[in-house]
This record gives sequence, C-alpha cells and structure tokens, in this order.
Amino acid sequence: MDIKELLAKQEEMKKKALNTKNDKESEVTKLMTFLIGKQVYGIEIPYVVEIIGVPHITAVPGVPDYIKGIINVRSKVVPVVSLRARFGKEEVPYNERTCTIIVTIDDTQVGIIVDEVLDVLPVYQKNIAQSPEREGVNSNKFIKYLLELPDGIKLVLDVNKLIYDNDQHSMMD
Amino acid sequence: MAKVEPGMEAMVDVYIFETTSLLEQLDEILLRTEKANEFTEEDINEIFRIMHTVKGSSAMMGFENLQKLAHKGEDMFFIIRENPEKVTDVSFVYDLVFQMSDIFKAEIDAIQNNDDYEPTDFSPMIAQLEKGAKILKGEVTSDSSESGATPAEVKADTAGAPEGSMTVRVFFEDGCKMENIRAFMLLNSIKEEAEIIKFSPDDIESNQDSANVIIDNGFVVTFKAQDNSAVLQLIEGALNVQSYEVIDDSEKAESAEAKEEEPVKQEAAPAAPVKSPDTQPSAPRAEEKPKQEAKASASSSGKQSLISVNLLKLDQLHDIVGEIITTESMVISNPELNGLRLESFSKAARELRKLTDELQDTVMSIRMVPLTGTFQKMNRIVRDMKVKLGKDAELVIEGDTTEVDKSIVDNLNDPLMHLVRNCMDHGIEDTVDERIAAGKPATATVRLSAMNASGEVIITVSDDGKGIDTSKIIAKAERNGLLTKPVSEYTEREIQNMILLPGFSTNEVVTEYSGRGVGMDVVKKNLEKVGGTLAVESKKGEGTTFIIKIPLTLAIIDGMDIEVGGAIFTVPISNIKESFMVKSDQIINDTQRGEMIMIRGVCYPILRLHEKFSLNTDITNLEDGILLLIEADNRSVCLFSDRLIGEQQVVVKPFPKYLSQYDIKGEGLSGCTIMGDGSISLIIDVNNLINSR
Repeated sequence: MDIKELLAKQEEMKKKALNTKNDKESEVTKLMTFLIGKQVYGIEIPYVVEIIGVPHITAVPGVPDYIKGIINVRSKVVPVVSLRARFGKEEVPYNERTCTIIVTIDDTQVGIIVDEVLDVLPVYQKNIAQSPEREGVNSNKFIKYLLELPDGIKLVLDVNKLIYDNDQHSMMD
Repeated sequence: MAKVEPGMEAMVDVYIFETTSLLEQLDEILLRTEKANEFTEEDINEIFRIMHTVKGSSAMMGFENLQKLAHKGEDMFFIIRENPEKVTDVSFVYDLVFQMSDIFKAEIDAIQNNDDYEPTDFSPMIAQLEKGAKILKGEVTSDSSESGATPAEVKADTAGAPEGSMTVRVFFEDGCKMENIRAFMLLNSIKEEAEIIKFSPDDIESNQDSANVIIDNGFVVTFKAQDNSAVLQLIEGALNVQSYEVIDDSEKAESAEAKEEEPVKQEAAPAAPVKSPDTQPSAPRAEEKPKQEAKASASSSGKQSLISVNLLKLDQLHDIVGEIITTESMVISNPELNGLRLESFSKAARELRKLTDELQDTVMSIRMVPLTGTFQKMNRIVRDMKVKLGKDAELVIEGDTTEVDKSIVDNLNDPLMHLVRNCMDHGIEDTVDERIAAGKPATATVRLSAMNASGEVIITVSDDGKGIDTSKIIAKAERNGLLTKPVSEYTEREIQNMILLPGFSTNEVVTEYSGRGVGMDVVKKNLEKVGGTLAVESKKGEGTTFIIKIPLTLAIIDGMDIEVGGAIFTVPISNIKESFMVKSDQIINDTQRGEMIMIRGVCYPILRLHEKFSLNTDITNLEDGILLLIEADNRSVCLFSDRLIGEQQVVVKPFPKYLSQYDIKGEGLSGCTIMGDGSISLIIDVNNLINSR
C-alpha cells in the first residue's frame, strides 16, 4: 500500500465520521431545563431572555387564574404566568429556588414561574422523539417534542402555545 | 409599505418624510403667494427647488410616475421663473399646483400604506400641467418658438444646438462610481443656472450601464445660459468632476461671442479657474448678482438646526431614563445604608438627583412638538372650502407654537380638520348679504388658537357665523329620540352640547365636506382617545366656539397613590374631589343600591376597592379606612381604600400587549406605572370604574 492510497483511505474515513455526525450528532439547539414538581421540562434557549427570582407581583383583575399579574423587569412591565396553574397542577408557595424565566416571542415578553431551574443542555437530533398522542395529560398540548436522555425524558415546551393558546376548557379536561 | 428596489427599503421612510414635508412647504408658499397675489423671485426659486428635490428623490427611489409629475410641475415654474415679468395671469397655476400636490400626497400615502403598491397613472394630471405650461408659454413666446418651450419638449426636438448654446464634455474622477447618477446631479445643478438643451448619454436616469459610457466618452451636455461662464464654474466646482472641455463642433456655438470661448477652451484643471470678469457684459452680471444673493438667503434660511428621530428611539430613551431614576432611588435609599452617617455620599446623591431630574425633563421635552404644522394644514382646508362653497373667510391662527406631546399631535389632525370644516360649512352664513345684514364684516373669520393652562392645552376653533339655533337642535334631538328629560329642563348649554351626541347632524343636506355621516360624536371620541374633551359654546348670531382640552402629555399624570390590601393604586388627581374619614352615622344602607354616604345633602354610592378587585385587607370597616370622592363625566362615587400614600407625578405605561386580550380596561384600570421603589401601581380609570360598578 503506497502512501497515496493510505491518504485517500484516511480522507474517506474522516468524511464518514463527519457524515454520521451530521446525521445524528449535530446539535439542533440548546435547551434550558427546569422542574415543575418532579418532571423535567425544557424551553429552547432562543426564547429565553433571562432568569430572575420571583419579584413582587402586582395582581391584575379580569385575567385568567394562571396569569399571576405583572412585574417590573428593569422598567419594563411584564406579565407573569404560573406554569403550575397553567398545567392545572396544585400551586405551591414560592421558595428560594422558585424562578421566573422571561421568555420572548414576537416582541412580547412573558415571565414564566417554575419550581427550579436546572441546566442548559445541547439537543441532538438523535435524541428527539415526537410527542406521543396521549390524552388526558394536561400539559401534553403544550409539548413540542420529547427529549430522551440517559437520565430521563425531558418535555420540551412549545412556547408559542404556552403563551398564546388560552383555550382553558381543553386544558381543564 | 411599497416594495422598492432592493437596498432602497431603508430609504423609503426618509423619502416619505422628506417629500411630505416638502409638499407641506409647497402648500404654505402657495397659500402665502396666493394671498399676496404675486410670486416673488424667492418664492419661485423656492418652489422650483422643492419640485426639483421631489423629482430627484422620486427618480432615485424609482417612482417614475412621481418623477414625471414633478418634472412637469417644475417645467411650469421654469417658464414662470424665466419670464416673471411676462407672466401676468398666474391664478390658474395655484389650482393646478394644489391639485398636483394633493395627488402627490395621495400617492405617497399609498406608498406608505400599501404593501402591493402599484404606481398610479398620472397622465391626466400631466396633460393638465402641460396645458398649463402651454398657456404660460403662449403668453410669453408668441414670437419665438424655442425660447419659452419647456425643457422636455426641447429635449425631444432639438437636432442642432440653438443659438448661444454651449456643449461641454465632462469627465468624472476615476473610480468615483455611479457616474450616471453624478451626471444626473450635475444636470440638476446646471438646470438652476441654464436651460438644458440635450445631453448624452440621455438615459442616465434609467440605465445603469450609461455609467460605463460616461467613463469612456465623458458626459456631453448642451445648455443655454445667460452667463455661460457661470455654468462652467458650476461644472468645475461640482463634486467628483475631474475635468471638462468645451466642444465647439457646432458653428452656432462659435457664433456666440468669442469672449465666452476664450477662457473656457482649456481643460479646467482645479488650478485654472474660469475667471474673466472684465470681459463679461455688465448687464447679465448685474442681473446675476441679486439672483445669487436671493439663493444664498434662501439656502441659509432652509438650513435648520433640527434632526428627525425615530419615535421608537425616543421611547427607548424615555424607558432608559425611567430605569435610571428607579435604580437611583434603589441606590440612594438602599436599606444597607440605614443608620450610617454618610456626609459626602448624601451630597453626591443630591447632585445625582438634580441631574437625573434635569435629564428626565429634557427627555420629556424632546417629545413635545409645536402645533404649528397641524394648524398650518388648516389653511389649506379653509382655502379649498372657500373656493368650493363660495364663502369668504379668513383663518386666524394664534398660539400655534404651543407644544404638545407628539403622540397627541398626530391624533389632533382629523378632529381639527372636522371642526374647521364644520365652521366653514355650517357655522358661517351662507351668503355675504346675510352677514352684512347682521352687521358683520363681509369676510368671515375662523379662529384657531391654542394655549397652555395648568397642565392642559386648550385649543379653540371658533367662527363668527350664525351660531347654534337651540330651537332647531332641541327639535331635532326630540325627533331622534335623544332627549332624556322634558324640554323645559334643558339649559342652553346642554342643548348646544347635544350636537356632540352620537346620531346627531344638524345639517339637513349632506355636503361634500361635513355631514358625511360622521358626526361630531366621532370628533369627540377621537379626542377622548388621547385623553381630551370637547365642548361647544355658542351665541346665536355671534358665532360658535369649540373648545378642546387635551393633556400636555399622555405619558405623565398627577396621581394620588392609595393602598388597598397591600396593592397600590393611582387615582388621577383631576378626578378627585375630596378625601375624608367617615363616621358610621353618615352611612346609609340602601337594600337596593348598597352603601351610600350623604355629603352636604347629596347621596353618593360607596365603592369598596378591596371588594371590587378581590383583595384581602384587614380594613373593612368604613371608619378605619379613607374615602375618596371621585368624579368623571358628572357621575360621582366614593372609593373606599385602606390609606392614602401620597401624591406624585407618574409615568403612565400601558398594560403589556399580552394582556390586551383580556378586558382590564373594562375593570376600571387604564394602565400601570412603576413606582420609585420598583413596584408597580395600577392606574384607575375613574370613568370605566364607575361604569363597571
């Protein structure tokens, strides 16, 4: 085997390695994970503006229960939504781990109250599974896709639906 | 917004802004000159300049139809400018140009608002303008066929250069790019001095490739001027012109006086200026001077110390300043500083507070704009209606420098227009005889005035016409079923204000200008949208006055902060009549209408805020809290709250967009504000709060 052949083979192998990476290993996006109860949820990083604690919330009349009110985020008035209430789960008092994630969509900022923020993970194509069509799970309609990882399944939320879909009846089902 | 050439999108805004203000300027000049009934040289030059700029920028943006239209308008004024003494009857020009300016504005509106903008065909208007130019030309050029012809026509039919013309070949600097555009700009500047007869390549405006032709062969232009050397100087001084040469291929150019050829035959290197003042005939020189002076004065007055800024940026600036102020109080009143003796810190803090206050005032004042522009537009309406209705009226403007928040000014246009039209159409007597019979001057006066009064701007629109006939009003109100009590119980003022009710229009006949189904109630609604009010005062036979009261700015209100169960609400001071503690014997419990309180013989319902907004508070006994008597639209209630916090100016912020799907306004809240300590208080809309009870 002369040196040219060897080089060609090496090149081929490199290409192969790259291709497989493109197919399965490529990073699609990053995910910020957080807890509601014991379940790990995630929001794709591009939607996230910042994470703050739970500031003083001013209640506003005439809005659904899950909209807790408005807060002052650096002189911007931002509405806050409790995910627990949004998912129809029992609400718990806020503690030092409770966080407000400020998300943005179409220039609208909304704060989302979660139990605890965990981590930022890369999302690979190979780990993505479509959301199963399970009925009777309150939070299911807000799920964009599932992420299967060795340490468990993460539910990736559809921020658009979370914010704009206010069909309360189906949620209460 | 309309689709334009790629890369030009960002320019559209600027184009629209610039062209709109130019057209407004044009209207203004025309109105003034029409009044004075003569064009001064300066006016003509100014109009010419405006048409020219509009034409140029339209061409740049690729709006060919607008460019053509402006070109024709320019042609017309070219004729007037060249022969001011010969043009005697210019009255028809006004109508023509006003018409053109309207078409222009409509088109620009279309560009601004339509995504799928299609250029309108202006050929009828262009034909009219051409006809106008011909009429003018007919007067001035009955003896000669070429001198008065419009440049456009000359361009088409000049085979050879006419007498006294000069042909110049211009080369631009290497690599200066867009030679065709530069040539076009050069043409424009030459046009101010001379009549362009032809130029080659002649497709510089539309053909990009002509740039290459110019690079290779130069840009050849033939023009005719009173003072050719002045033009050559102009060419020499033009931007990016490397050199030029005079071409004397036409024998006619040769037949022109030799003195003009001599100094310019050379290649004008920058070091070789064309100067031969002594060989100039004195007459054209003398004529040139005042012209130049006029131009200089016009250009210096045209330069403003103003820049236009996107309103969005101002809002951002405003937000940041609010942030700074909030942060400042967080630092200065930081709890960690409690109990410390900090002399120099306090001093520095005071200094900082002073500066931030100043900063806030300045930012607020940036948003304030004078009403001048809005008022000036009314001139045009009065003028048009004068012609249409055959009524003689004069618009008097007072206090137009009064400043109002930009967002309010934008919303004042339509209401004012409607009111002025109303005065012209319904207010002023139909015939001059009627006026004279009433002992009034034949020319009616419509007065538009503005003034500042304690945080409000008061704008009045008044006429000296026939006034409101109350008997007619009440008869009509009765017919339309608008009466809520017996006729005899209405005061004159109440009757007059009936014309502001929905479903009321006193004019029996619908005219073109007012009474198009849009009544005064719409005007009132529009004003209410910006926090304003409208009232009418009238005396039969003496005239009618519409009084508009608007807040100086929407963004700031004087408010009283109150606390209810830990939540803070802000009540606009203007709605508060009084605040007081109450004793239980003053309370009346009505089984049907709930709790009431008797104050000075009047019974007011009590509205418990903690019940209204479902808040938890320990203070539920009326004697423990405080009552606020609030009033809006002649209706009053007493608000029950825990305690008063204090009075302060607050910056009103709308609720987040996300919440607009819910009816928070209907609950009686108009917005929110960020307090000094960073918490949010809700601003109470008294009117809606009373409604929602």
